[in-house]
Amino acid sequence: MKTVDIVERIEGEAKLVCQWEKNKISDVRVEFLNFRGFEYILKGKAPLDALVYTPRICGICGQAHLKATVEALEQIYKNHNEELIITNKAKLLREVGLNIEIIDSHIKWFYMFIMPDVVKFSNNDYSEYKALKGKKWLEASACASEVIKVLAIIGGQWPHTSYMIPGGVVSDPTLLDLTTMQNYIDYGIKFFENNLVGMEIENYLSFNEAEDLYKVKADLKDFITLSFENGFEKIGKSYNRHLVLGSSLSFEEGKINKKLIKNIDFENIEELSLNTFNIDKSKNSKDAYTWSKSALYANNFYETGPLSRTLVQNRKFISSVHKHYKDSMFTRVMARMDELGFLLKKTKELIKRVDISEDSFIKPKISINEFKHGLAEVAVEACRGSLYHEVEIEDGKISKYDVITPTVWNLGPGIDGKLSTSQKAIIGTNSIEKAKLILRSFDVCSVCTTH
Amino acid sequence: MVDSQEMVKKVFTQNSARIDTNKGDAYYNSLFEKAKERLKALRAQPALKDIDMMEVVESEGVNRRDFMKWASATTATLMLPPMFTPLVAEATELMNRVPVIWIELQDCAGNSEAILRSSTPTVDDLLFDVLSLEFHHTLMAASGHQAEHQLEDAMHHFKGKYLLFVEGAIPTALNGQYGTIGPSGETFQEHLARLSKDAAAVVAVGTCATYGGVPAAAPNPTGAVGVMDLVKGKPVINIPACPANPANMVGVVLHYVLTGQVPELDSLLRPKFAFGYRIHDNCERRAHFDAGEFVEEWGDIGAQNNFCLYKVGCKGPMTFNNCSIIRYNEGANWPIGVGRGCIGCSEPDFWDKYAYERPMADANIKAPTGGVEKTVDEFGLGLLTATTIGIGVHAVASAVAGKRTVHSEDEE
Ligand code: SF4
Ligand code: SF4
Repeated sequence: MKTVDIVERIEGEAKLVCQWEKNKISDVRVEFLNFRGFEYILKGKAPLDALVYTPRICGICGQAHLKATVEALEQIYKNHNEELIITNKAKLLREVGLNIEIIDSHIKWFYMFIMPDVVKFSNNDYSEYKALKGKKWLEASACASEVIKVLAIIGGQWPHTSYMIPGGVVSDPTLLDLTTMQNYIDYGIKFFENNLVGMEIENYLSFNEAEDLYKVKADLKDFITLSFENGFEKIGKSYNRHLVLGSSLSFEEGKINKKLIKNIDFENIEELSLNTFNIDKSKNSKDAYTWSKSALYANNFYETGPLSRTLVQNRKFISSVHKHYKDSMFTRVMARMDELGFLLKKTKELIKRVDISEDSFIKPKISINEFKHGLAEVAVEACRGSLYHEVEIEDGKISKYDVITPTVWNLGPGIDGKLSTSQKAIIGTNSIEKAKLILRSFDVCSVCTTH
Repeated sequence: MVDSQEMVKKVFTQNSARIDTNKGDAYYNSLFEKAKERLKALRAQPALKDIDMMEVVESEGVNRRDFMKWASATTATLMLPPMFTPLVAEATELMNRVPVIWIELQDCAGNSEAILRSSTPTVDDLLFDVLSLEFHHTLMAASGHQAEHQLEDAMHHFKGKYLLFVEGAIPTALNGQYGTIGPSGETFQEHLARLSKDAAAVVAVGTCATYGGVPAAAPNPTGAVGVMDLVKGKPVINIPACPANPANMVGVVLHYVLTGQVPELDSLLRPKFAFGYRIHDNCERRAHFDAGEFVEEWGDIGAQNNFCLYKVGCKGPMTFNNCSIIRYNEGANWPIGVGRGCIGCSEPDFWDKYAYERPMADANIKAPTGGVEKTVDEFGLGLLTATTIGIGVHAVASAVAGKRTVHSEDEE
């Protein structure tokens, strides 16, 4: 039997086409049917223009795209032995901006995208989680709006800002600005303490074993209870291979395929389009069914995202949860919420480290347009996982711009008989509702996946 | 932090407000009577959503006085005389009588995100609690087939009455195959046609829905166009910008609730209350522009002193929008506030015309349209020409100023 289901309440929508055998999903296709063509649009543009275009690939992770673009352009300088000086202050302001975007996204994801579906599994009254009306939904929305102001103060607006430029950032916050930013973060920390985990953040962050799950209170406890009632710790397991391409003051790069290896080599990244539609229709392969491409590292599918980051960094609590429940839907959600706590604290520290007497921007000695040829590959960690940008310039114009988003790693089509990460996680599930939850646990974003 | 509501009011009520919207007492008196009738009729209708605005307002800790302050600022934003304030206040309570269906096409969800940004305890956000949002692809509770039914229901039930908000462009190349939606695989173009058919009016939100936006950037691989290129025979209201400002979305709905009509529009179908003047007119750095004090490059002394950003590419002088007053993220800030310069995101073709690389003085920029609408466009063009002449003088002045700066640094 074949069924077709639509997964909405993500950015855009995904089509889930399932084959059923003996009441279990025996095969699945995740289809993304919306395409804009950013890589084609960027071709022929002036390199600095990319700073305006790429953040608009996605309304929820635009900062990550901006940071990837700016670092790629700086990489081009470096490859010409024209290394730019980026002050600590500029580096910190960039990372604070990106972290805030991740924080914002995690809050909304839990309350707006995961919980409304999770509570449907219970007969008890969870109407406080109701979309658009429930108290918890509204409080989460308010909190996200407060926290994102940290980014608005240095970026001018959110979504879609372009405050980073090669050489630094354009903004120059005052001490008052920095204090205001900390106040907004404190609002987020209070929310985390009072609404999400029901205890002081320090207390929560000192957890180091799976048994600590039973100490969690408040809304996250609702999730944990509902998960164990419905066996969410048993569903959604994939290859248990993890990849973190970007490193920063907050994250470490590395990969786990049985064992942890801290070195990442971009040479191993491969992007394939066997099952992907082609913009030139006559070149469509007969197997094409989605606009997403497939991404492989060293010839394997890997998962990317908060769970992978936690494991590569070996943060104790979730690593222990993971030992018990592997890469299940449950572990994935827990890892994302754990990262929320981790980043709130981390980002507050980063803001404290900003020294306002430093320069925000140091002008590059030459214009990027003067390079006849340039090539750069960079990766940053976005809310949903590793984001990779590859830029080539020829005679002062972009000749190639390739973007591999986190969702392509997790949700792109499998190829050559190899299942992709999310396919592998969904196959074997016995209900479509659970299949949708598993899909959501990867934090689906259709517009990023196809760009 | 600046109180943006207060700022709005100040700007719109000062005598020198640039756009002359005073249509005379006779006009306003008749509009006033009409609005009163309209609100009476609305009040007689059943609420679509049983949320009481005043209850929400109070439960969020906004007192009656603050609420009225908000109402008077909003009246000013809508370019109506102060006597409309009580009616605006009343209209907010009746927003739950107007059904809204919100769809997303070829988008990045940035405008939906921007709405979520409009948060407590400002009244704008509360409005979204009260507003009868009958369908929103990303935010609603339902999904899958259930969502599909909800949409059908809303369309059927509110036939001819709902406001259709559209976020995202519409791909037209390859028979629309670059974007399909729902179980039947309807193209975005078909979807828009089906939903706009019985809408009272269509509101295009964000630059993608209005002019095609970034997806329509050269070479426009998917043949992206805006709503007004496809929807005919029906009022279309454009709220461009990338992202559109939630305050303007609220303004459009309020105006509709109040008068049953679409607000006055310019030739690009933008409400004049929001797009009737330029960023430059109310920019906080304007005094520096007039004094010839410019940021010559990011990070310089000028940047540290918040000088004008014209020479690093600010497009404020040719961009019609109200973000210099409303700002973003509830007034937290706006691009020029952090020294980035305006990229003209509410103008057609901003993606190809106004992007970073080309400071305005060198760009081959024409006024947004040669259309029928006079005041705004000619006004813009006229000032622009004046500006372009002005820059010559300023450039010399600031070059001298620049030298002085370098000199004094040397001495230190
Ligand atoms: S050019 Fe830009 S920064 Fe300067 S005054 Fe005008 S809008 Fe403001
Ligand atoms: S300042 Fe200009 S670019 Fe920025 S949001 Fe306003 S109109 Fe758009």
